[in-house]
Amino acid sequence: MNEDVILEAKGICKSFSGVSVLWQVDFSVRKGEVHALMGENGAGKSTLIKILTGVYTKDSGSIFWDGKKVAINSYKDCQKLGMACIYQELSVILPLTVAQNVFLGREPKRLGLIDHKRMNEMTQELIDQYGFPLEPEALVSNLGIGQRQLVEILKGLSCDSRLLIMDEPTASLSGKEAESLFSIIDTLREKGVSVIYISHRLEEVYKLSDRLTVLRDGKNAAVLNHDEIEPKKVIQTMIGKVVDESAGSSKEMRKNTNEVVLEVQDLSDGTGLFHHVSFQAHKGEILGLGGLIGSGRTELVRAIYGIDRYREGAIFLNGQKLKPSPKTSIQAGFGFVPEDRRGQGFIPLLSINRNTALTNYDRIKKNGLAVSDKDELKLCQEAIERMDIRPADPQKQVGLMSGGNQQKVVLGKWLMRDLKVLIVDEPTAGIDVGAKDEIYGILERLAKNGIVVILVSSDLQELLRVSHRILVMRKGAIIQEFDSGVVTQSMILEAASGLMGKEKAV
Amino acid sequence: MKKINGPGLGKPIILAVFMLVLTILRPSSFLTVGNLSNVLWSISVYGIMVCGTIFVFLIGGIDLSIGSLCGLCAVTIVKVIRYFDYSNTGVLAGILAALAVGVLAGLVHGVIITKFRVPAFLITFATQIIFLGLSMILTNNKILSCLQPELFTAIGMKKIFNFPIPIYIMLLIAVISWFILRKTVLGRYVYAVGGNACASRLSGISDTKITVLAYVFSGFTTALGGIVLASMTQQCMASTGSGYETEVITAAVIGGVSLLGGEGTVSGALFGAVLIGLLNNGLNLLSVPSTEHGLVKGIVIILAVGFDALQHQEKFRNWLSQFKMKRAREAA
Repeated sequence: MNEDVILEAKGICKSFSGVSVLWQVDFSVRKGEVHALMGENGAGKSTLIKILTGVYTKDSGSIFWDGKKVAINSYKDCQKLGMACIYQELSVILPLTVAQNVFLGREPKRLGLIDHKRMNEMTQELIDQYGFPLEPEALVSNLGIGQRQLVEILKGLSCDSRLLIMDEPTASLSGKEAESLFSIIDTLREKGVSVIYISHRLEEVYKLSDRLTVLRDGKNAAVLNHDEIEPKKVIQTMIGKVVDESAGSSKEMRKNTNEVVLEVQDLSDGTGLFHHVSFQAHKGEILGLGGLIGSGRTELVRAIYGIDRYREGAIFLNGQKLKPSPKTSIQAGFGFVPEDRRGQGFIPLLSINRNTALTNYDRIKKNGLAVSDKDELKLCQEAIERMDIRPADPQKQVGLMSGGNQQKVVLGKWLMRDLKVLIVDEPTAGIDVGAKDEIYGILERLAKNGIVVILVSSDLQELLRVSHRILVMRKGAIIQEFDSGVVTQSMILEAASGLMGKEKAV
Repeated sequence: MKKINGPGLGKPIILAVFMLVLTILRPSSFLTVGNLSNVLWSISVYGIMVCGTIFVFLIGGIDLSIGSLCGLCAVTIVKVIRYFDYSNTGVLAGILAALAVGVLAGLVHGVIITKFRVPAFLITFATQIIFLGLSMILTNNKILSCLQPELFTAIGMKKIFNFPIPIYIMLLIAVISWFILRKTVLGRYVYAVGGNACASRLSGISDTKITVLAYVFSGFTTALGGIVLASMTQQCMASTGSGYETEVITAAVIGGVSLLGGEGTVSGALFGAVLIGLLNNGLNLLSVPSTEHGLVKGIVIILAVGFDALQHQEKFRNWLSQFKMKRAREAA
């Protein structure tokens, strides 16, 4: 056993209800190294981390800490060893001060009461030791996201942690904040603290990490040393070569029409979430919108649909300028399937019947003031049939159905209308493979009938498989446009993470 | 599969047992038209109010001001009638004025909640105090009696076919409320907004408009309750109506209306009101000292609601077993 190694996991296996999520995964972190963990969504990164931190129990395999075999059954165990995890969603408590957060639950006491003075001094010592730009007595609610993250890191370090796990730490940081985080990570490395760094942002990983482990489909795909880390190679290991080059070619190509249905001109929201976005979408086209999480895709489509306001620019449907509001958009022929299905897509308490009718009351017959129950039911049955919703029971409460069928209900309420543009944001997130295929089929059928489909997706295979044309967003702007016949997953990833040499000005 | 989103069985069972016990113990006085009419008459004020306030509950809001608003409306009609020297014109003007006060209060609630994003709990808590204060000023903190004209006293007391008019008003409002909720697009939207405001907005529904309408309707029925209450007691004072918000909320909750929004029916809420009325009536018939009423009522409410909570757990268990089955299928 190598003395340099602080944490080693060997032959880790984990399955959920018989589905294997991790298979014989080996993973080791040396003392004082920044070790990046990479892989596509669903590759098993977070499962591995949850096993290491005691949130899940492994099925088999063993974990060694500083050369000794250990059992980690809870987060407390992992803290005792000297590991701390900084989650994507920060768990700092806003109304408390920095010092109070750092020593939460372990406050130094004097005569049974909290010794605030000593607590502040101890925090200041820690701050000085690592050179963080923080004040012990500052209220966390007054700090920016980046500083709040530092508080969390400080909390981890205060328990004498020798290994920090950071899950997508830069996801909500500004460029400058991220830079200062990087220099802090360098400091940690110098002090001999190891860091497991999880990120989708390739350029960060190249810059920071000493070593890199790539997972694919729950298995070890590669472990690379710093000098072996090369963008193209990493991307190819992440997605696996075979899929990469063939996807997208089997798809039936769109009939060539140049009739512009939707035109977006120079759209900016004023705060930089998206800026100067222009594109056209043609009749019967499935337009993919790719990019990393946080690149402004969701914000852009929400603005196009009229939920969020934009500051500059204009949207035209068949040459007519659109007023931004969901109601007018719907009347003009828009449909919108939001990213957060349970939170925004449907009404869990209500039946399929009431959910599908929700956008269609302008078309359902009325007897005087009363809605025709019969007509409402007929519309629902049509939706159930067309979307193959299961169970095919109009009175079934949608909240109790499976994710795939819930999504079909959400799609169904739009498909009963005379649509011109359908915007779908991550339509197959958390949906099983069979239902995914059905949803792709539905989108393709819609396009064939001349409807414009705008597909926002983080799933590259999905983008390549379904869309005719792909726009890639980065930092709020469209930086690349691809025809799906010639593009590969790695080209999209490279563009999305800013590795493309020539950034196209749009 | 068993239909699980219908009203629970707990309350009907409790009600049936309770009525049975009373019928056996008080065979001559309980199960008579006169007594049952009395029960309905006694619940009619909050029965009327809950038919409107249920809209607020359904959209996931709350209105704590209805008790003191009911009082303010009672004060309004009495003051107007006295101003018009107890004339029939005064009664009509008073009814209109009281209704206007109620609707206006609802409008203010709705607009403040939607435009300024003030939590409903806070704003209606504040207006509760304001309405009480206004009644204090208007009555000079004295009891104002109003024993005439007959047109006024008839509202609360006159019987048609053995039943006092308030019962008919309650039934009429219940039917209107039921019709709106069950039959119209507006009703569909109320349940949608209460079930998921965000999804409703994305479906092109103006949740702002629905919210304002709900508070307005709640104000309207509260005013109606105030008018009936004033006529029943033929007097008013600042504290008239105080505490009615508790009765209304209790009736709704017993009747299966979810205070989180999206779930509940008018018939359920009225059922809750009837249960409260029968409890009060039964305790009186059994000569339970009024000091012990609160204790007994509380226990019965816990029994009724607890039984339903158990059924909801069943619902949860169903969902869980479905989820497990799905996982098993995926694994296979």
